[in-house]
Amino acid sequence: MTTTAPEVRKQVPARATRRGGVIGNTGLYIATGVAAVLFLIPFYLIVRNAFMTDPEITGEEWKWFPTDIQWSNVKEPFDDVTVDFARSMWNSLVVAILHTSGILLICSLAGYGLARIPYKHANKIFYAVLATLMVPTAVTFVPSFVLVSSLGWIDTYRGLIIPGLFSGFTCFLFRQYFLGFPKELEEAARVDGLSYWGAYWRVVVPNSLNFFAAIATITFIAGWNAFLWPLVIGQDPSAWTVQVALSSYATNQTVNYHLIFMATAISILPLLFVFLFLQRWLVQGIAQTGIKG
Amino acid sequence: MSASSNSNWDRRTVLRAAMGLAAAGGLAACGSNTGRGSGGSGDGLVQYFHAYGEAGVEQAVKRYAKAYKETSVTTQWITGNNFEQKLFAALLTKNAPDVFEFHPQIQLIKSGQVADLTDIIEPVKSDFNQADIKSHTVDGKIYGVRMIDDPQFFFYRPSLFEKAKVEVPTTLEELIEAAAKLKTGKVKGAYLGNDLTPVQHSLIWSAGADTLTADNKPAFNTDAVADGLKQLRGLFTSGDLLLDAPADWWDPSAFTQGLTAIQWCGMWAMPAMQEALGDDIGVFPFPKVGSAGKESVYNGGWSMFVNAKGKNVEAAKEYVKWLWIDQKEYQEDFATSYGFHIPPRTSLAESASKLKSGLPAEGVKLFNEFGHFDNIGWTQAMIAAFNDVMANSVRKDGDPKAQLAACEKKVSTELQKLFG
Amino acid sequence: MSTTTTRGVASPAPAKVSKDRPRRGLKANSTFNFWLFTGPFLIGLVIFVFVPIGWSLYLSFFEARFTVTPSEFIGLDNYKQILSDTDFRNSLVTFTVFAAFIVPTTWALSLGLALLVNRLRFMRAFFRSVFFLPTAVSYAAAALIWKMSIFNGVRFGMANTFLGWFGIENIAWLGNPDPPWYWLVIVTVRLWLQSGFYMILFLAALQNIPRELYEAAAIDGAKPGWQTFRHITLPQLRATSTAVILLLLIAAYQAFDEFFILLGKATWGMPPLVELYKMALGENQNYGAGSAGALILTALICLVTLFQGKIMGFGRGDESQ
Repeated sequence: MTTTAPEVRKQVPARATRRGGVIGNTGLYIATGVAAVLFLIPFYLIVRNAFMTDPEITGEEWKWFPTDIQWSNVKEPFDDVTVDFARSMWNSLVVAILHTSGILLICSLAGYGLARIPYKHANKIFYAVLATLMVPTAVTFVPSFVLVSSLGWIDTYRGLIIPGLFSGFTCFLFRQYFLGFPKELEEAARVDGLSYWGAYWRVVVPNSLNFFAAIATITFIAGWNAFLWPLVIGQDPSAWTVQVALSSYATNQTVNYHLIFMATAISILPLLFVFLFLQRWLVQGIAQTGIKG
Repeated sequence: MSASSNSNWDRRTVLRAAMGLAAAGGLAACGSNTGRGSGGSGDGLVQYFHAYGEAGVEQAVKRYAKAYKETSVTTQWITGNNFEQKLFAALLTKNAPDVFEFHPQIQLIKSGQVADLTDIIEPVKSDFNQADIKSHTVDGKIYGVRMIDDPQFFFYRPSLFEKAKVEVPTTLEELIEAAAKLKTGKVKGAYLGNDLTPVQHSLIWSAGADTLTADNKPAFNTDAVADGLKQLRGLFTSGDLLLDAPADWWDPSAFTQGLTAIQWCGMWAMPAMQEALGDDIGVFPFPKVGSAGKESVYNGGWSMFVNAKGKNVEAAKEYVKWLWIDQKEYQEDFATSYGFHIPPRTSLAESASKLKSGLPAEGVKLFNEFGHFDNIGWTQAMIAAFNDVMANSVRKDGDPKAQLAACEKKVSTELQKLFG
Repeated sequence: MSTTTTRGVASPAPAKVSKDRPRRGLKANSTFNFWLFTGPFLIGLVIFVFVPIGWSLYLSFFEARFTVTPSEFIGLDNYKQILSDTDFRNSLVTFTVFAAFIVPTTWALSLGLALLVNRLRFMRAFFRSVFFLPTAVSYAAAALIWKMSIFNGVRFGMANTFLGWFGIENIAWLGNPDPPWYWLVIVTVRLWLQSGFYMILFLAALQNIPRELYEAAAIDGAKPGWQTFRHITLPQLRATSTAVILLLLIAAYQAFDEFFILLGKATWGMPPLVELYKMALGENQNYGAGSAGALILTALICLVTLFQGKIMGFGRGDESQ
């Protein structure tokens, strides 16, 4: 965590510097520390189980750490003949990246249109979009599946990605953000002779990269973690995402603990990297959204 | 077109390039399949199997399919515990499998989802276990080919029984007493699955009742069944029962890891158990419930069906005939080389050497002596209705009589829809 | 030049891009631009969201068992059936109890974490990361960890091991509904997964509160701590709180994965979506009744949201356009 040091100095809130007595601070750190330990327990369990042997995990005595770290477990998901784990990781990566870029493009445009371009029915359309947020996915699940299958998209990236691109929620977030975007900047651009389209790409987007990064992070996570849809669309193992592969380990008739937890650990790893790199933008981006009432 | 060339330019170009690239990449990816071959649609066949847990089964199924020369057969190996749901959802679409395994249930026939297979089974009908023929027959037509019979009963550790001075139980009371005596600090007495539903049918039969009568009326709502549920409730609350094991009843883990002295499981798990525990394994049927009862074993299993709405019904029937009627070598391999199952073909069951001695032979004996087969009129919806009885009156403190009555009502509604 | 560069991005309607330039500023222009920006999204939304919703609506008036292209019109029978289904009604009660508990709890926990992290001087980014990391884990994976390693009913489960040190018998956390330990399992998994994300929202909002407000309050004699929190921080967070509660409510209504994975064949503690899933995709394959239930649920969510909006003033800004 050394890399974060410069940032800390920048963001020290005024209150903490002025009022943080020694006792108050100790209490603060103890409270935060306890909460942090509780939050880390599941991660600890994943790593512990991933590097143990099954007899150790299921043994009579609780062991905090593996007696011998089973490095060979790392290879095991990739050697498994029944599930092509590497392929499922690749599929997840492709799906998550395309899902993220597609959503950013389509929903940001729509959000901007709804927020800034005057049109007499814009409000009605916005409420129609908002209404889709209330509809549980289960309502549309079977019809969507039949629809996608009649398009011949079963077992394809198309089927995994395209139906998820039209996220009312993301569009809503973009609209709220663009409502708060300083009008002056755009107006200056319009005076320069730019169309809506030009102003959007030359002025609005370049000044909103923080927000785009924030949405990208959230969307990437959602794309990577999606389960039910990939489960039914990915019928052939070659089209499985990593979540589907994980569930197949968990429901195998013979439970293989270290394999399940190692696979889980590997499946989380890419997201941890995304997080550590994008976290700062995420906070800043959200601070700018004005998720406001 | 005021070329506003300012410092924004670089960022903008890069961003556009990136977005254009992403869009292009999207289109390219969308144009291609995920790289699998021509299987799936087209002229080949697709078959659905649920994921068997024993090592090597998937490879075996694919090996058999590959050996079939007439047409290409793609195997979809459906992992996860929601095989039915995936199957049912797929059957609604044009990506439906041509051939799939399931249990004989009449709604598949009534809704026209499965094809009549009488003509391919008729010539060898006499070589099948007649109970398996009966459970697949509606109005004189046979709708599925049984692949394997899977008897389910109790497994126990004789060494632990000896230590606790417990005899093999023959009544439910004795089972409950045995569980109490067998329980120690680290080992629970018995394991009936995490939700206890695996024993629901055996409970009905062991109490002298049945799921349905011969003319398809509910037959499970008897005092003996209600008493049995009450006794199970006692066992559930006693603390002698293993609950919330990470691996459910079909997996021998709880038994082999020494978490329980008795476990309800199926014959398929025998090889894994023997590997872990050697000879320290015995089997017994679900004990008698009440005075009028009789011990019972549930003869489950899997059957092959042909999708009647598929594109290649004839080709699919040919394939099913080839593999599950003609290729006896593969049938025996499937039944005995991985987990243990009983082949429904009498000739094979008699010749299968692995089932002739020791523990498997005892399993076969229970199968023949105490076994009850599926009733084709007892559908998934009715099974689910009885699952609720187990949940409400065994795991919860509901009144068994009221629960059985509620279940009977649901089952009657279903029967009404199916049989009019 | 701008048209050539935009073409790569504007692939849905490249030919029309050039048309809008000369008419810029006219009403038609803004209408055209509106559709240019929102068109791709709205077309997709219609195809992949509204068509399926309409299809569900259609199914809900038909006898649709084992088929999604039914022919027998049965009017409101599916609605009657689902409304008289005790499982479905119980699930609505379950949901209400669940939401009434999980929404305020998650709100309080994420706000608490945000306040803690916001006051840290050292290792701030570290703690923020720790609380945020669970967001990276899927419900499926988290449910697995909870079920197999923390709250399994046997001796090698972490919770039971811990209790074992105090001589307490193994507890069947999920199997035995009495006492209802399963709520502990479900609530903890949800809190763990969700709090971090909402903490970030609060953290962002806390950083947006103008420092002068606190200074002014200090001058007015407000004591730091509860008083400042009550009179400055909380009102300043109102907008974020409203949004967070709305999101939490929708998430609670849509609860599915962890209940589905953790509770199995139980008859208690089932939220509506699991009941509907069982009705439509499970053993019954009754798509008509399933769709009817889903639409009833949708109507309920809309009502609750509108009600919440009335109370907390959400959506007030929308009229300003």
